[in-house]
Amino acid sequence: MKPRIVRAIAAVTFREFWRSPDAVFWTYGFPLLMALVLGYAFQTPSPQPLPVAVVASAEAEAIVARLQRDPRLRPEVLAADAADRSLARGRTALLVRPTAQGPVLRSDPTRPDAELARLLVERALRPAGAESQPALVGEVEDRPGSRYIDFLIPGLIGLNLLGAGMWGIGFNLVHLRTQRLLRRLVVTPMRPREFLLGFLLGRGVLVVPEAIAIALFGALVWGVPFRGSLLAFALLVLAGGFAFMGLGCLLAARPRTIEAIAGLTNLCQLPMWLLGGVFFSNERFDGALQWLVEAVPLTHLNGALRDVMLEPAGLIDVAAPLGGLVAFGALCFVLAVRWFRWT
Amino acid sequence: MTADAAAPPAIELRGLRKVYRRGGKQTVAVDGLDLTVRRGEVFGLLGPNGAGKTTTVEICEGLLAPDAGEVRILGRQWGRGDDQSLRQRLGVCLQETKFHDKATVRETLQLFAAFYPGGRSVDEALALVSLQEKATARQAALSGGQRQRLAVATALLGRPELLFLDEPTTGLDPQSRRQLWEVVRRFQREGGTVVLTTHYMDEAQQLCDRIAIVDHGTVIARGTPAELIRSLGAEHFLHLDLEPAAARELLAAGDLERLPEVQALQADGGRVVLTVASIHRVLPAVLDLLTGRGVVLRDLATRHATLEDVFVHLTGRHLRDEGAA
Ligand SMILES: Nc1ncnc2c1ncn2[C@@H]1O[C@H](COP(=O)(O)OP(=O)(O)OP(=O)(O)O)[C@@H](O)[C@H]1O
Ligand SMILES: [Mg+2]
Repeated sequence: MKPRIVRAIAAVTFREFWRSPDAVFWTYGFPLLMALVLGYAFQTPSPQPLPVAVVASAEAEAIVARLQRDPRLRPEVLAADAADRSLARGRTALLVRPTAQGPVLRSDPTRPDAELARLLVERALRPAGAESQPALVGEVEDRPGSRYIDFLIPGLIGLNLLGAGMWGIGFNLVHLRTQRLLRRLVVTPMRPREFLLGFLLGRGVLVVPEAIAIALFGALVWGVPFRGSLLAFALLVLAGGFAFMGLGCLLAARPRTIEAIAGLTNLCQLPMWLLGGVFFSNERFDGALQWLVEAVPLTHLNGALRDVMLEPAGLIDVAAPLGGLVAFGALCFVLAVRWFRWT
Repeated sequence: MTADAAAPPAIELRGLRKVYRRGGKQTVAVDGLDLTVRRGEVFGLLGPNGAGKTTTVEICEGLLAPDAGEVRILGRQWGRGDDQSLRQRLGVCLQETKFHDKATVRETLQLFAAFYPGGRSVDEALALVSLQEKATARQAALSGGQRQRLAVATALLGRPELLFLDEPTTGLDPQSRRQLWEVVRRFQREGGTVVLTTHYMDEAQQLCDRIAIVDHGTVIARGTPAELIRSLGAEHFLHLDLEPAAARELLAAGDLERLPEVQALQADGGRVVLTVASIHRVLPAVLDLLTGRGVVLRDLATRHATLEDVFVHLTGRHLRDEGAA
């Protein structure tokens, strides 16, 4: 391994990337935008009132009046068929049909807000004397470190590292192959591992600043905390970047067409998006699915990033995922060097 | 010279064979090719499109693996360990080379310079192919000829012992071509060996010490340009442009063919081409014959035989025919 060659490859790779403003934007600007948009979308946990349809009848006005006392409900009077349609389309969470025997509540219990609406409506329509139980006080969880945005930001950092490796490395290596640029390089005294390492460094130097930018962005805009070790964070980002870049190299080792690498990348990336715990917690699956969750490197990266950002975790606390990611990356890299195709 | 004689030849190919398989279809690109390139010579591979020149050269460069046959480059074989030290001694200019689009000429050369410690400096390489003015231009902003010169410069950076040039002058203007020939000659004077492929007869004739004519994946003739032309048996052509009706009569009588110096005759209406060993002996006889028969001579030209004629003689086709394979 000659450092001079690795450095030269890294330099030309970095320049190639840095001089393509669109590539820089989609690799590094777009994730920041995504963090911004998603952050705003999930920022206010103030729940919307639940729509409830009351079928038009003599008692309808009285029922609506009682339901309106609870601010979490938004009752409206509808004709019988309009109310049915509204329920079928999911525009209303619950349908109240006044009958001679008292109101009938109709809903689809598989819809998430149906049960909540039923509970609230039942309570609102309870006969006056029945409210003897002690009133329970509700609290909204909105302390920094426990909100959805706090969960999301570390996940986005992990997701970004995944994208940088899979697309930045995998896709571009195959691109160089289809462009027949690799053919010229392989007839020089350069070794495959020198090339791949240089390429990885050239594309990867920006992963740490990028991760720091997302974390800083979260902290400044939403007050996402950073409670753990900065060193552990930096090492995690490097290890995660290495793991996914190694995977990118491995996927790109053989394909000769852009279509093939795009397919392979999606095949690997989709399960990670779904199971890696980026947008929602992946700790509640069961059986084989949970086993799969554990097999996905992104799970461990995201978990460790959350430990370091949201809890006062240090290097020791994340040593296991750190080592695992480095080992995974190294394995991929070695296999990629062995199987790499130049023409 | 004596030291070189003891060293193994620059290239030795024995029974080389390469078959491309694509979706059940087989193309025999190289079919039992034998070749020896001596140290210090400029060796030309000449042949029509699809003859197998690039395939042969890329096998020599270690870029392709042959299906059969023996390959020795500077006495070494590919894949027997430490290919890197062999690559250190080779310079390669592929038929079609892509570099990084956004890299400048200088940056591209810097990259290749990193591969060859003790090689030429970037500035020296730039000067060699006269690209100094374009040093800061990006790859994408270069003309086809400038890209080709850059490709040659990267091949020369490592001061190779053996230089492969696959159609190095295709797409160059005449001045750049001659300049590149000068680069090749200088490289040879400094002791280097060159293998080049070309479609240009004049290039092969002027630049190459020895030539192999390749067709359908095998060598069909080899030797110095002079030897190959001499092998035709007659080195000159006499072109006559006659009045068609008179020409038909003359040819029917067969008098022209019977002249002692004429080896072959081709006719197309009034245009007649005689293959002759020496112009000065045949010309008076031809003129006498024409005057005697009262045939009007509209034009007359003579031409020295070229490698193209050798190829036509061997295959009945022209080198530059498209789809000859
Ligand atoms: N990658 C490939 N896959 C399939 N067939 C190929 C491939 N490369 C070359 N061939 C075929 O092999 C034969 C020899 O090709 P080659 O490129 O060696 O010819 P060449 O003499 O260099 O021609 P040219 O003068 O056009 O460069 C041709 O018939 C060509 O179609
Ligand atoms: Mg060719």
